[in-house]
Amino acid sequence: MNFANTPRFSNQGLRPGSQLLLCTLASLALLIGDSQFGLMDRTRDALSVVLYPIQRAVNMPMAAAAHIGEFFITQTALKQENAELRSRELAQSARLARLTSLEQEVQQLKALNGLRTGSLQAGQLGEVLYTARDPFSYKIIIDKGLDAKLAAGLPVVDERGLVGQITRVQPLTAEVTLIIDKNQMVPVVNQRTGQRSLLYGYGGGVEVRYLPAAADIQPGDLLVTSGIDGLYSEGIPVARVTRVDRPAGASFARVLCQSIAGVQSSRYVLVLPPRAAMPPRPEPAPQPAKPKKKKDTEDEG
Amino acid sequence: MSYDRPQELLKPVKRRFITLTFALALMMELLPLPVGSTRWLPDFVGLLILYWAINQPRRIGIGMGFLIGLIVDVSTNSLFGQHALAYSVTTYLVMLRQRQLIMFNLGQQALVVLTLMLANQLIMALVRLALGSAFVGTSYFLPPLMGALLWPLLTKLLLLPYRHHTL
Repeated sequence: MNFANTPRFSNQGLRPGSQLLLCTLASLALLIGDSQFGLMDRTRDALSVVLYPIQRAVNMPMAAAAHIGEFFITQTALKQENAELRSRELAQSARLARLTSLEQEVQQLKALNGLRTGSLQAGQLGEVLYTARDPFSYKIIIDKGLDAKLAAGLPVVDERGLVGQITRVQPLTAEVTLIIDKNQMVPVVNQRTGQRSLLYGYGGGVEVRYLPAAADIQPGDLLVTSGIDGLYSEGIPVARVTRVDRPAGASFARVLCQSIAGVQSSRYVLVLPPRAAMPPRPEPAPQPAKPKKKKDTEDEG
Repeated sequence: MSYDRPQELLKPVKRRFITLTFALALMMELLPLPVGSTRWLPDFVGLLILYWAINQPRRIGIGMGFLIGLIVDVSTNSLFGQHALAYSVTTYLVMLRQRQLIMFNLGQQALVVLTLMLANQLIMALVRLALGSAFVGTSYFLPPLMGALLWPLLTKLLLLPYRHHTL
């Protein structure tokens, strides 16, 4: 005789139907409160602190395995990598030397013109803790948060290009929304032609929208951040155009792109510091004071 | 009554054991797995909720489904209430027919589990679409199939500690 089959003799608690009704109402309220009004952000922050040690503990065997794997790397692989890095460093030091001289020149020119100069700062290195297991959103969690003075809105890059943007900062962790997330926008400029456009994520990839069908863009073009939004500094590689369709009768071209950075595969990312002093936003145009009149009289009376 | 699965005499299930199984399943959710694997890995917590709701309906009911769903929402970083809604609906469906489900053999149970897990995914997909996410593609409905295939194995595994050792 199975235990599960013995009938319930005393009827305790609510009937299943009303239990379901209660739970459904509660979860709908939570869903709407969370997605539309952001009511649960505090709870999420608190829970993220609770989850952090568990997360670390679960990560530990994996990290240990990776460590052991790295320990037993072969001598030839090491030598090869060393040579590769050395040649890359040589190439980059030459470019760096040119860059410093250029930078000095720019500083002088800017000083001559009385412009403010942005200081170059190093970013914060973050390790990707985990990718959120939610297939609907493209986000990663990194191991730096309020403790490293991160703030929402900072751009995140890896060694090749732009990865995304910090959207939520928790005490010990931060959530990075990847550029391929739906409705994530990056203002870009085509490096070949200088044409500015907006790069949209559509959930799993990126595309350029609202570009006139006759625009000069072709597969292989590199799109870099334009820097006019005051958020991303200019010149970070973002994506490469893979296909351009110009459907007859449509006024916009369909431009598919491939992101440059290892958006879903990089293990270490760099959080760039906020951009130095931006000029203040222009004052909004004064509103006509018509609807306020009633309130003003109330205040007076 | 089906005769393929002889009804055995089992030791009573401890509450501690149920908690342990859920803790393990949640750890699975937190593991840093390779990117592609979430496309086919079944939802272990959802499977466990169905298992315990069918086999121990007095321990795991609609309310527990809701609470565990909330924990899953936190650990997978999805919207609050998404898994909670799905799990409470499926546990309710189990409760409606629990007496029948417990009599089914493993194959029949696996079919029911497939339907319920698909219902889980469908509810979550509808909720996310209604709240403005992009559709993730039909591969989103692959994990329930894996879950249903794993169901007999899961049942055998979870019964293991409660068999009387026969000599």
